[in-house]
Amino acid sequence: MSHIELDRERCEGHGTCEQIAPNIYQLDDEGLVSILVDQPLPDELVGAAEAGARVCPLAALRVVDGS
Amino acid sequence: MSTESDSHPADVLVDVERAPSTRADAPEIDLDIFREDNVGNPHPMWATMRELGSVVYLSASDTWVITRYDEARATLADWRTFSSASERVYGEEMAALLGETALTTDPPLHDKLRGVLSEKTAPRALKQLTEQVMAHADELVAEAVEAGSIEAMEKLCQRMPVDTVADLIGLPEEGREILLPGGERMLLTFSPHSDRLVPGMPSVEEFANYIVTMTNREVLRPDGWGTAILDAVDDGRIRQQDAVPLMSSYLIAGMGTTVHTLGFYLNNLAQNPAAWAALKADPTLINSGFEESVRVDGPAQMLYRAATRDVEVGEHVIPEGRRIIVSIGSANRDPRHYSNPDTFDIHRNPVDHLGLGYATHGCVGQGLARLEVKAVISALLRRVATLEPNGPVEHSSHVPGFAGITRLPISLTSV
Repeated sequence: MSHIELDRERCEGHGTCEQIAPNIYQLDDEGLVSILVDQPLPDELVGAAEAGARVCPLAALRVVDGS
Repeated sequence: MSTESDSHPADVLVDVERAPSTRADAPEIDLDIFREDNVGNPHPMWATMRELGSVVYLSASDTWVITRYDEARATLADWRTFSSASERVYGEEMAALLGETALTTDPPLHDKLRGVLSEKTAPRALKQLTEQVMAHADELVAEAVEAGSIEAMEKLCQRMPVDTVADLIGLPEEGREILLPGGERMLLTFSPHSDRLVPGMPSVEEFANYIVTMTNREVLRPDGWGTAILDAVDDGRIRQQDAVPLMSSYLIAGMGTTVHTLGFYLNNLAQNPAAWAALKADPTLINSGFEESVRVDGPAQMLYRAATRDVEVGEHVIPEGRRIIVSIGSANRDPRHYSNPDTFDIHRNPVDHLGLGYATHGCVGQGLARLEVKAVISALLRRVATLEPNGPVEHSSHVPGFAGITRLPISLTSV
């Protein structure tokens, strides 16, 4: 089971995650990332979640495997 | 940092249990990466080093250079192993000159200093500025189109960031002419070869004095970013001694880098008529074009770190305490990561490039840089039919570690 780890302190709202995986990440009204899907991630969303996390310029997002 | 998941790039880094000898086991090359011809056109040199190894030891400057994408990304992601603290990276003497800035410190101090800057430069803070930046870009482009043939560095690329950033900081109009040459001089201090600095030291000091003079409520506009730094001191969020270095972060990192990012993007469009045509047909490609231009031609070609322990990168050991150059210029053209890496492909959208750094020290002004550059390019898309080279392009070769354009003659025809 995978889930998304978000370091909210690091998010500056560049929106690259949303650009790559708009079904999983979205900038909220304050311009910071929010996660649109339930956790742990369903298997079919892990790939997209990783792709969106990978391109965060500040490494604020990480998809981690396991409990 | 040893708990990374399988997909995390830090896995390329391996803890070294026993201290190895301090012998350099990486392939060694005797090359002066700060020599003018190499600074002016770094890519042949990067290609040679990248094929030699993921880490290359530069005997001339006793420095390890990380050349490939995966290793460079992993290095930037691990601030604990790869420190940015200036006294470690540049030595005590240079550290005193540079001061403690977000660029030259590690967390937790880094996070405090960066927070003062990012509060202003993060995209959500920039939203309210979009209109005024777009309007200023439109004025500059209208003048350029009127002229028809321009030297684009002077007429467009230098004016946009200097006007924008100086206004945002709240600097007085008088004396702004020092900003670009002064900032460029200060970039020289990031070169570890201090002997090359000697002739430029008087102008470094002149600019340093300007920054000190400007860090003052009496001269700054009350609603500007400069005043916000002084407010942060008064609030106790940062220390008194942090104010001047933070001002210098805006003044040094916020100008020349954007000037050249814009210059390279314009040049890539002028040199690639098909890319210009594609952009005219689909203006949403402006974002992809920005990232691709920073990937192939980033102004910052290298970032400095120091190893806090013996660490294996790729298959090579870098001993504790030694200086490291992460060549983001090389990583961004690593064929292991990007196909046809030397080609400017406006459709590529390489959002994972390292041209603005990555992770802890990822460029704090990248939102503003994107805003300024895209404002100019979109004004061009609205007002210009053809954009063509109009003479030889001259590249900057005198600021070690930085790429740039000094002369960019183009001709524009109106729509």
